[in-house]
Amino acid sequence: MKTLIIIPAYNEQDNILNTLADIRMNCPDMDYVVINDCSRDDTERLLRENGERFVSLPCNLGIGGGVQTGYKYAREHGYDIAIQFDGDGQHEAKYLHDLVAPIASGRADIAIGSRFIRKEGFQSTGLRRAGIGFLSRLIRLICGVRVLDVTSGMRAVNRRFIEQYAREYAQDYPEPEAIVAAALKGARIEEVPVQMRERQGGSSSINPLRSVYYMIKVSLALILARFTS
Amino acid sequence: MLSAAMRYAILLAIAVYFILLVVLLKQKRLTLRYTLLWLFCGAVLLLLSLFPQLLGLVTSLLGFQVESNALFAILFFFVLLILMSLTSIISKQNEAIKRLTQHAALLEKRLRDLEAK
Repeated sequence: MKTLIIIPAYNEQDNILNTLADIRMNCPDMDYVVINDCSRDDTERLLRENGERFVSLPCNLGIGGGVQTGYKYAREHGYDIAIQFDGDGQHEAKYLHDLVAPIASGRADIAIGSRFIRKEGFQSTGLRRAGIGFLSRLIRLICGVRVLDVTSGMRAVNRRFIEQYAREYAQDYPEPEAIVAAALKGARIEEVPVQMRERQGGSSSINPLRSVYYMIKVSLALILARFTS
Repeated sequence: MLSAAMRYAILLAIAVYFILLVVLLKQKRLTLRYTLLWLFCGAVLLLLSLFPQLLGLVTSLLGFQVESNALFAILFFFVLLILMSLTSIISKQNEAIKRLTQHAALLEKRLRDLEAK
């Protein structure tokens, strides 16, 4: 199966090459493309000099618009499976074969790499876990799908949802919303146990003040998704 | 009833409003489709100030004590409508810009691939 790994990257000069080396070593059978979301650091120069495959957005679109670009690229090039994989060093490529297994076998439309099934590896802070737990229950209430790690950015989707996401994808903080949007379209969603690391360098896009905004915005978006679909 | 002074002031303000609107339209700094709401608001204001009885009727119907309050409430409602339409326009443009950005980036990638061959 033709598989594409989509790696959204914004100011990831410290991590991006390690991430790509990890993928080349552990998943030599998969293609990858970096979506450089108008980074202001040396990310693009590094990608260019190393002859990596990348798409460079002329304006910063945020994670949602970046990932969607990857899905459009996958659609354009006829990939069967697309994987989202963070460029900041939190994700490990050795789990990707497990991740695509449910999709390759046709058992699921979407597979989500989850930290909370075996509860191994970096588990995030208590407060953040509580927030994720709340969103998880909210999603279950809204569309009846049970997903534990709703903010996980490690996902694989099949052809049908490559096309769906290429057409429509949530903008900021899109992960939980993308689950609901897909579930309301009848997606079979499965969680796959993975371990994640703490981010290796650079800085996360989420700070304490933004977390409050995040929770309100995402909760509202999830509820609205239910009523507008 | 609105005082005569207030009526004249409002009429003058509406005149300035319409002149500005026409000038902007003529200079093509406003697109007609986004101007319809502005034109409509101006028309309603004009009607209310030309026929003070109308404002009196609205005031008593809505239970306001003073006519100027009714006028403010109506104005404020229109301002809200215009703001909402602006937000809707921004959202639409936001979506268009996103699509263009993605399209440009994918084309640039394809161009790079072609040049490399």
